[in-house]
Amino acid sequence: MIDLARGTRLPERTFGPVTMTDIVRYQGASGDMNPMHHDDELARSVGYPAAFSAGMLGAGWLAAYCTEHFGEESVRRFRTRFTQVVYRGDRLVASAEVVRLFRQGDERRLELAIQLRKDDGALVVDGSAEFALT
Amino acid sequence: MAIMPIEWGKVREYATATAAARPAYLDDPNAPIPPTFLATVIHWSTIGETVRAPEVAKACATVGIEPDVRNLLSLEQEYFFHGPVPRAGETLHNSERLYDVRIKEGRQGPMVLVRFLVSFHDDQGLLRAECRYTSAYVRKEAS
Repeated sequence: MIDLARGTRLPERTFGPVTMTDIVRYQGASGDMNPMHHDDELARSVGYPAAFSAGMLGAGWLAAYCTEHFGEESVRRFRTRFTQVVYRGDRLVASAEVVRLFRQGDERRLELAIQLRKDDGALVVDGSAEFALT
Repeated sequence: MAIMPIEWGKVREYATATAAARPAYLDDPNAPIPPTFLATVIHWSTIGETVRAPEVAKACATVGIEPDVRNLLSLEQEYFFHGPVPRAGETLHNSERLYDVRIKEGRQGPMVLVRFLVSFHDDQGLLRAECRYTSAYVRKEAS
């Protein structure tokens, strides 16, 4: 059991290298079939080096990372901001830090700062989340 | 209001697609939804219609940005859950509302920030979840 004091960092989890299969499987599951995520020719025609991953796939990985620690039924708030695009072959690292512990009604809650970075340190998803503690 | 039935198979598919293939999602016919699962509402409804509202077009015209989807970026999504996390077997009812339009000076010129909210109610009419979307119309630089 992790000691959940303010400033505690959760163990990191790595995802990837990102593959076309990861991207199209997420697109099919989510219903977002934006071709910029799987059509290299189209992405190159507007100046990108290749098709890039869906931002919400990174958000989904961060969600998986959090529910692994706090359970599947405890999410109360989950915010993700997309700061940079991800390409196939990128390796990603999820991390989280406890920002505060508080009480909302009769529930004990935890607020986390969550981040997904490329393995060279570049931030791709920046977020904040709250989970109920049981 | 549009409906969104939460299906177990969809929860399994979504959990697997986000590296969360765990028993809580895979083995329970009434599995809870993953934190970003409500993104799948687009299988049921067109989301983001409010980005074409007249006040958005007006703000875009003020700064000379064409309110075209090619100029539209998704910047942020924030989910709120009220009470127990929705589960497979439940049906949600969703509605969308525009709540903020503003012009912001960005590093690469002006942008029109558009914020809209999608609300999810259950069969009893209780508000179970909300998603706040922040999108922006930006001026495409010639590259």
